Amino acid sequence: MGKTVSTSVQKQAAEDMCKHISTISGVSAEVSERKSGTSPRSVVSVDCPPESWRELAESLRGDHGVDYCSMITGTHWPEGGSDKNWEVIYHFLRMAVGDPPVVDGMVEPIITDPTKVTGKSVPLEIEVRIAIPETREPVVSSIQDLWVGADWNEKETWDLVGIDFEGHIGMRRVLQPHETPVGFHPLQKQHKLRYHDFQEMYDDAQGFLRKPSDAGKIK
Amino acid sequence: MAEMWISMGPQHPMTHGLWTLKVKVDGETVVDTEPDLGYIHRGVEKICESRDFTQITTYCDRLCYASANTWSHSYIYAVEDLLEVEVPERAEYIRLIAVELQRIASHLMWLGAYGPDIGNLSIMVWCLREREMMMDLLQELGGSRMHYNFPRVGGVKRDLPHGFAQRTRAKVSLFLSRIQEYEALFDESTIFLIRTQGVGYSKAEEMVNHGVTGPNLRAGGVNYDVRTAHPYSVYSELDWEPPVERPSVKGADCYDRYRIRVEEMRISAMMVLESLDKIPGGADTYHEPGDPAIIAKAPSRAKEGTSGFHHFEDSRGESMFYLAGGGEGRGKQPYRVSIRSPMFITIPYASKCMIGYKVADIPAIMGSFDPCIGETDR
Repeated sequence: MGKTVSTSVQKQAAEDMCKHISTISGVSAEVSERKSGTSPRSVVSVDCPPESWRELAESLRGDHGVDYCSMITGTHWPEGGSDKNWEVIYHFLRMAVGDPPVVDGMVEPIITDPTKVTGKSVPLEIEVRIAIPETREPVVSSIQDLWVGADWNEKETWDLVGIDFEGHIGMRRVLQPHETPVGFHPLQKQHKLRYHDFQEMYDDAQGFLRKPSDAGKIK
Repeated sequence: MAEMWISMGPQHPMTHGLWTLKVKVDGETVVDTEPDLGYIHRGVEKICESRDFTQITTYCDRLCYASANTWSHSYIYAVEDLLEVEVPERAEYIRLIAVELQRIASHLMWLGAYGPDIGNLSIMVWCLREREMMMDLLQELGGSRMHYNFPRVGGVKRDLPHGFAQRTRAKVSLFLSRIQEYEALFDESTIFLIRTQGVGYSKAEEMVNHGVTGPNLRAGGVNYDVRTAHPYSVYSELDWEPPVERPSVKGADCYDRYRIRVEEMRISAMMVLESLDKIPGGADTYHEPGDPAIIAKAPSRAKEGTSGFHHFEDSRGESMFYLAGGGEGRGKQPYRVSIRSPMFITIPYASKCMIGYKVADIPAIMGSFDPCIGETDR
């Protein structure tokens, strides 16, 4: 049998974390029982208002040892109602990884036995959802300074979905061309994919004029 | 000497795809770097929003040509989380075999491409020879050579074909004996050692903070693996442990990242052999496509307001799909698909890694992280 983290230990750790972070104002956390393929797993599933997000993030990083930011993504919900027009979703993993110790000038690799992990070294999945009410300029606080891995995730979310991150240093286009018009974020729902009348697609259907950059200059 | 910016790319033999690395140099020394991505951004996430759940697998295959199966499986686990499907155990074993064979093929592709990057041309031919064996096996499963479209929501497309187990055992055993040839070719090549040892140091804790996982992290002396920390599929049934490398005091260098991938290929090969022995129903039985032993019935519509995601150990790190289901009258299609690509996060880190080294070290350091631009740009 392989050495893997037992589901009961993971569930217990998830419940402990939920109990602690639920004390932050406005935050509601629960353990969601999920199942992919044949394996059951426990996920800490958190709903957080935008104003408490910074406090929650610092608590996750500092008190709970959540050291890895996996993914930041955003969703545009035009029909989602006025209180949930946008949603930012964060996925974290608690890896509990440290630098391996040096013994007699040699690095001793950390071989964690997954069947024996306890306390804050139990690997956990955390999902945080932040609903943003109807607005033209959705903004949440940046967590770039807490997890460096969040840096490019935030850039991508702004680039594609148009959700801005307050306090993010060096925001720029990462996947779209640099000369993309300001305010064009393709994953917003007003931009539709078109398959028919494709001639029309080139007549400014995307909301900005498509012209070659040298139009009018070359004869 | 005056500092200046040099643009490496978008076309460069070292890159497997298009991207630019802007390098600020002071003489020969790299002072600052800035990666510029997005040259082959195809908008997969937007395209997937207007496709049925079953149609998206094809797009996921095409995220990375070297590792197609791991990406489509990564998606399938997320969609099974969304639709709450329970998969037959036999199907999980077949998936595991497919994914681990793909992992070997992907690492071989990396090794084959890394050799020429740093001046060892013969290794490429050797690696592609063994990769061809793995691709033959995968072709028997999926029916095509590179983009298999093998997993289905609830199971797999086809059962193991007749004689597959026998051929796999023969080829994988042969491959295991040939790993020693690579080690002889690499570890005793002075050029290789000079160019990889002592360059591109990276520390474990820093890597986790930057979002780097997978073989690159395990090279830093930590045995973290999504397959053991968040067990999915039937990895808990097999007798295996993730490989770990003993890095130097300064951190893992390019040589450690090469060693860890060779070890991983070995472990994956052992896993394939073991799962052929343990597969329920035996490896020689064949079920017709659609048989309940290999595919479970799955709903085609997601419930309103549900979401599904799954962390998956890709051959380059932790990959993940996030799927938001439903929306008014459109339950068959996802409302939002988001892809977590390990390389999108690793490339900025790898670019930081090369600060302080010479310009000639850039291909060695960058190549050792196994960049794949198809999944990075999506």
